[in-house]
Amino acid sequence: MTGDDAAPCLNLPPGPRFAAVGAEFVRGAAAILGAEPHRGDRLALIAEEVLAASPPGSGPVSLALRDRRHAMRLELGFTTADLDLAGLDQARRRDVEDLAEVGLYLAARLADQLTTHPAGAGGLRLDFDVARSYPPRRAQPPPPGLGPVQGVPVEPDDATLALLVEWAEASGAGGTAFRTPARVLDQRAAGELAALVALDARRRPLGGLFWQSFGRRLMALSGPALLLPGGAGRAALATALLHAALARLARGSIQGLVVLEAAPDMPAEAFEVVGHLPDAAGGRHPVLFRALEEDPGGIAWVPDMLRGWVAGTVRRLGLGRDIEAPPPPARATGAAMAAETDRAASRVTLRPLLAAADAAAVALGNVALFRAQGFGQFRAVLDLGQPSHAAFAEGLVQAGLAPAALIPDAAGDLLLLATPG
Amino acid sequence: MSGFALERLVPAHVQAFEAYVPSPPDDVLRRRFGVAHLHRLNNNENPLGPPAASRAVLARWDEREAALYPQGDGWHLRRAIAGRFGLDAEQVILGNGANEVIAFVIKAFCEAGDNIVTADRTFAVYEWLASFSGIEPRLVPLRDHGFDDAALLRAIDARSRVVFLCNPNNPTGSWWDHAKLARFLDAVAGRAIVVVDEAYAEFAEAPDFPDSFALMARHPNLIVFRTFSKMWGLAGLRIGWMAAAPAVAATVRKTTISYSVNRLALEAAREAVWDEAHIAASRAQVRAARAGLGALAERLGLTMLGGIGNFAMLRLPMPDTVVHRRLMARGVMARAMTSFRYPGWLRVSFGSAPAMAAFGQALEAVLAER
Repeated sequence: MTGDDAAPCLNLPPGPRFAAVGAEFVRGAAAILGAEPHRGDRLALIAEEVLAASPPGSGPVSLALRDRRHAMRLELGFTTADLDLAGLDQARRRDVEDLAEVGLYLAARLADQLTTHPAGAGGLRLDFDVARSYPPRRAQPPPPGLGPVQGVPVEPDDATLALLVEWAEASGAGGTAFRTPARVLDQRAAGELAALVALDARRRPLGGLFWQSFGRRLMALSGPALLLPGGAGRAALATALLHAALARLARGSIQGLVVLEAAPDMPAEAFEVVGHLPDAAGGRHPVLFRALEEDPGGIAWVPDMLRGWVAGTVRRLGLGRDIEAPPPPARATGAAMAAETDRAASRVTLRPLLAAADAAAVALGNVALFRAQGFGQFRAVLDLGQPSHAAFAEGLVQAGLAPAALIPDAAGDLLLLATPG
Repeated sequence: MSGFALERLVPAHVQAFEAYVPSPPDDVLRRRFGVAHLHRLNNNENPLGPPAASRAVLARWDEREAALYPQGDGWHLRRAIAGRFGLDAEQVILGNGANEVIAFVIKAFCEAGDNIVTADRTFAVYEWLASFSGIEPRLVPLRDHGFDDAALLRAIDARSRVVFLCNPNNPTGSWWDHAKLARFLDAVAGRAIVVVDEAYAEFAEAPDFPDSFALMARHPNLIVFRTFSKMWGLAGLRIGWMAAAPAVAATVRKTTISYSVNRLALEAAREAVWDEAHIAASRAQVRAARAGLGALAERLGLTMLGGIGNFAMLRLPMPDTVVHRRLMARGVMARAMTSFRYPGWLRVSFGSAPAMAAFGQALEAVLAER
């Protein structure tokens, strides 16, 4: 069982015999959890395809459906990680002779996002997310005469949070995270977004800051969305929001904050620049980072071709790193990458799923596939704490990606590669 | 091993807690940061080391004694401490560092549903120990960098079992005087145990610093923590202690771990009690280092914060965690304060003169390359 008590779960034998049972379970559970029929159908189809493609000897497969409010997540748990998941890689050419691989390919295409996690005792979990759609609406602008700030930033109630997003959307403040109040409320209700909001004496929102998980031990910071008029008060408010967020996250599991696209009011002096990413306008913008904990140094597994860039960045950032050459992957074939697509930004983000000696070719194939589908921006995230991730670097570089940022984490720096703008 | 589901066996408060990962050993840090030497200005250690009599104990240590268990509850040391402070030996309890004593107290007085009350920006171990013991830590914001007595009193409710005061406070060095502590104890009126952690008390020269052992006679809910790690230079041997009214000490003793303090620590600490010459020399070293750091702060235009203790904080114009790394790369360890909820501040221990000089040069260089 992979789900908690609230998530409907089912264990089934692997293989095609029970695939339809799994599909019906997922369809029914999705309906009970309130998913629209078309989302239920997509999730059911994913379950059916993955079950059917599961090798007979791989042990029971657990299915759990989790309502994340803004998305429905189907979790498929395997008792072993030694599975051939190459079909999940969308760059694989569909071989009509291999129905299992076609099924996995289809499952990956049906999901808006696919992530893999190690599961207890050597197992593996695949999470397929299918997003909810929100009807378009016109945001109302903030009223005149907001402010001044009263007290310290707080975790807002739903009404205040919705109002902040509404007003931020209408004023174009804060960036894309501050859009569609219903989605933001759903993200927070699902425990996937945290918010701090500054208020005035009438408890009206004046500004806010959001953070969401970014990898294992980091948070991505969004905002600040400031609704105060220009002047010294804005800078002070931005700093107060940031300091409140740092205090909230200190002494926990989070090691640092990443800002991939800083809003104009983000107090840049509180961060370090760990790289640059191309933007849609053809320019570059800085990637900001703020560590919450001291960095005691660590190991970075870096392939030869990236060693110079990583070593230079490590020196520039003053990181203590043992830079090691990674061992070759143990598996000969079957490398796979997960792809997260953002059609609006024409962007694909690739992450290693499973390393094998064919990783470079798989990486190259992924970029080629999505390029052929019209995507123009490519990013890849390699965890330098995982020796196996290095195997993908060569193909990514051959496909035109270059190192863009090194996000420090002593337990595994994240190397962000990107295509030039 | 089929059927073993670890998560099912782990309490939620332990699952939610992130294990503390200590810094790697100095040799690893030196290699990773590419330096030949590291000045340790991060743990508030005493650069003078232990008193002469304690050093003599270490020098004549018979290694064959390593095969023998220590005496189980520090019989001789407890009597030495009690004699120094006019207590009964049964009022004194030893631990493997003061951290272990914190755990004894929480185990003795707290159960599920209870809370402890302390400050948000103070020594982290009260908060951590409560959290992974399933006890709610109520964190009261500091006021003007010091413990806020009124807010602490407001935070106490019927389920509050222990109030932890760090006096002087680590990392701000702020402190309550005797009268303020007495007033606070009056106001608590026995509703909760009040722990006063006096890890840095031996550095206090102000005449109105609390005589907590005297207050204990009037306030049987008061527990005083002390340590041999700071003034006494025995941090590597891990030994701390607490004193309380007899009935309170007897309760805490039920949760103690006998034999947890090693032979060497017991003997070295016993010889340290109460070497006034060592105290005088350490205080002089702290005064000199504080003056030097103050001058550096003034030259660099940095705000310095400190009161009592062998450390001070500097407010930086850039992230403290970045400065920490860049100092490491120049062979100096100081403590980044974001994890103490003081983003942008650096805590510096008052080390030896060469270490302080190295820190000054390194900090100047780091700030210059901004």
